[in-house]
Amino acid sequence: MEVLAYQGLIGLSSAMYLWLISAGLTIIFGVLGVLNFAHGSLFMLGGYLAYTLYGLVGLPFSVSVLGSMAAVALLGAAMERGFLRPLYGLDPSYQLLLTFGFVLLLDDAVKLVWGGVFRIPPIPRWLDGAVVVFGRPFPLYNVFLIAVGLVVGLGLWGLFDRTWWGRSVRATAADREMAAALGIPTPRVFSSVFMLGSALAALGGALGTPVRPVAPGIGAAMIVQAFIITVIGGLGNLRGAFAGSLLVGVLSSYGTLWFPEFELFFVFAIMAVVLLVRPQGLFAS
Amino acid sequence: MRAVWVPLVVVSLLGLASWGAAGPATCPLGVPVMRLGVQGAASGAHADYGRQIEMGAQLAIEEINAAGGILGCRLEMRFMDEELRPATAVRNARFLVTEWGAHFLYGVDSSGSAMALGPVLRELDRVHFFTHAATHRLTEELVAQQGIRQIVRVSAPVYQDAVAAWLFRDMRNVRRWATIGADYEYGYAAWALFREQMRRFRPDVQFVGAAWAPFLTQDFSSHIAAVMATNPDGIFATPWAGEAVTLLRQALLQGVFDRVQVWFQAMGGSVDVLEGIAQEVREGRFRGKLYATARYIHNWPNTEQNRSFVSRFAKRWNRMPNYSAETTYSAVYITKAAVERARSLRTDRVVDALRGLRIETPAGVRVFRAEDQQFVYAVPAGKVVADPRYPIPVLGELKVFDPREYWRWPPFQPLDLSK
Repeated sequence: MEVLAYQGLIGLSSAMYLWLISAGLTIIFGVLGVLNFAHGSLFMLGGYLAYTLYGLVGLPFSVSVLGSMAAVALLGAAMERGFLRPLYGLDPSYQLLLTFGFVLLLDDAVKLVWGGVFRIPPIPRWLDGAVVVFGRPFPLYNVFLIAVGLVVGLGLWGLFDRTWWGRSVRATAADREMAAALGIPTPRVFSSVFMLGSALAALGGALGTPVRPVAPGIGAAMIVQAFIITVIGGLGNLRGAFAGSLLVGVLSSYGTLWFPEFELFFVFAIMAVVLLVRPQGLFAS
Repeated sequence: MRAVWVPLVVVSLLGLASWGAAGPATCPLGVPVMRLGVQGAASGAHADYGRQIEMGAQLAIEEINAAGGILGCRLEMRFMDEELRPATAVRNARFLVTEWGAHFLYGVDSSGSAMALGPVLRELDRVHFFTHAATHRLTEELVAQQGIRQIVRVSAPVYQDAVAAWLFRDMRNVRRWATIGADYEYGYAAWALFREQMRRFRPDVQFVGAAWAPFLTQDFSSHIAAVMATNPDGIFATPWAGEAVTLLRQALLQGVFDRVQVWFQAMGGSVDVLEGIAQEVREGRFRGKLYATARYIHNWPNTEQNRSFVSRFAKRWNRMPNYSAETTYSAVYITKAAVERARSLRTDRVVDALRGLRIETPAGVRVFRAEDQQFVYAVPAGKVVADPRYPIPVLGELKVFDPREYWRWPPFQPLDLSK
């Protein structure tokens, strides 16, 4: 029983990490209708910036994480205003091509700046340790991930449900023309949502640096999982992304324990089963 | 009219004459320059291997050119990123041979790339010196069975990982083994070889758990937790490069080294892994329980040739050489030896010249095994320790075993690759 509980807790921390990344992807799709292929690259860039600020410059880890989020958010704003905005009225395939172009561009850019070799800074002292849970050491780092995931979840819920900005975003997502007619500055809403989504991608990348090396292309592996989660949860639905993250994180963890032979196929099996039962995802938009 | 044509004819003739005078000179092998096409992974968590392949090849070429080339022919190199994708590796090889004019090929990191390249090499008819890809099938199936003579492997294959059985056979307190394996052929083959040999030595040993991590896994925490639930005494781990660093960092966080007796990280002796865990090794976080091997280790053998190689490499690149650097460096020198014997660039003659070749390299003596065109040499295994003489950790308490004991030998029987 303790083995199952411990494995579930490990799965929960993985789920919270996946949630951080899929939340940004979901928000951008839900409001802007843009399936942002470059989300994984923004995740990677967040990792590199945090590595630079924390591992090379020597800033505190928390400051480095916030700094990388701010920088990637600004980059996101530039991407949205400079490149995506002219494509909103066109066929969605243009957005896909554009964001895929950003994947190639950013992957090569990090190679030019940081080189092709992976980078990993030391783990911050305050995260380097464990607490005994169910008779086994459970990493403080994983506890921290769970806490951050929950705080981000609550923060997003508060932001979208309890603020004027959140109501503007929801109105814009529901009906752009009507929102604009009511005086909501929809272009600014779009930019701010893209910034928020980008910052969340950077948060995932930055938080991972002490235990996951950053390297060109790491975003590609992560974006696949994030897409699977958004599909499972229901495209563009934030509650769905949270539920999808929990489902994938926790069930994958049990899958590793019970069916190690099927590790490769397990995540896809979860997606297939969910889509067979609910083709629109767990929470349709 | 005549006034127009005469200057034109004169200028044309002068042009032809000057082209002939400046035409490409050829070296004694009948080519202007010997071209070496090199491939390796140059991006992602495994990128250091490609970079090291490039650095090893470049160093050998610079040295050989400084000494007058091969039979008076200068060497030239072109490096390409194989991206660990078979399709890319094949495309690169075709470009290097048919467009760029490579006479020999070197690399690659991925076993999948190596297996895809094999049949293409027969068509391109160029010798490819494999300097990292470890799958046993490259030499056992494509060379020994199918007779693709263009394949020559300089690096130790997956057989090397079976050395763990020799390393731990006398540790009576290590009875329960589990694996955190790479979820592809390399992981299955390494685990199969280890189990097979360990069972021979120690019938009392149990294999209690396995977790398989797909390529490019970034979160190993569920794999570690699942395996630790089986209370193993020893862990046999095969994720490599950046993934090995990730795995070890995450294992430390779960307190694994307080609970197991030994952890064997198959390619943990590679420079990028040792760099990635340097601080933890210096702080004694692995409690002296982390063991590893590689396909070459920079602090062994203690020969003048190896010390000199490491020193020159470090001076040239400001890095320690990892095994893909040494194997590629040695492959270029093997090319030199073979071409000097064959006095030709023809593939069949060069391959014939490899027969019976026994060559001193930084990794020690390499002996060509004709049946599968595999160079055989010994690589030790040992404990990962800090050493003040080196900027990064090294393998200490080294144990060297005769490869005739733990390598597979022809005729080859199929290896059970089941998980």
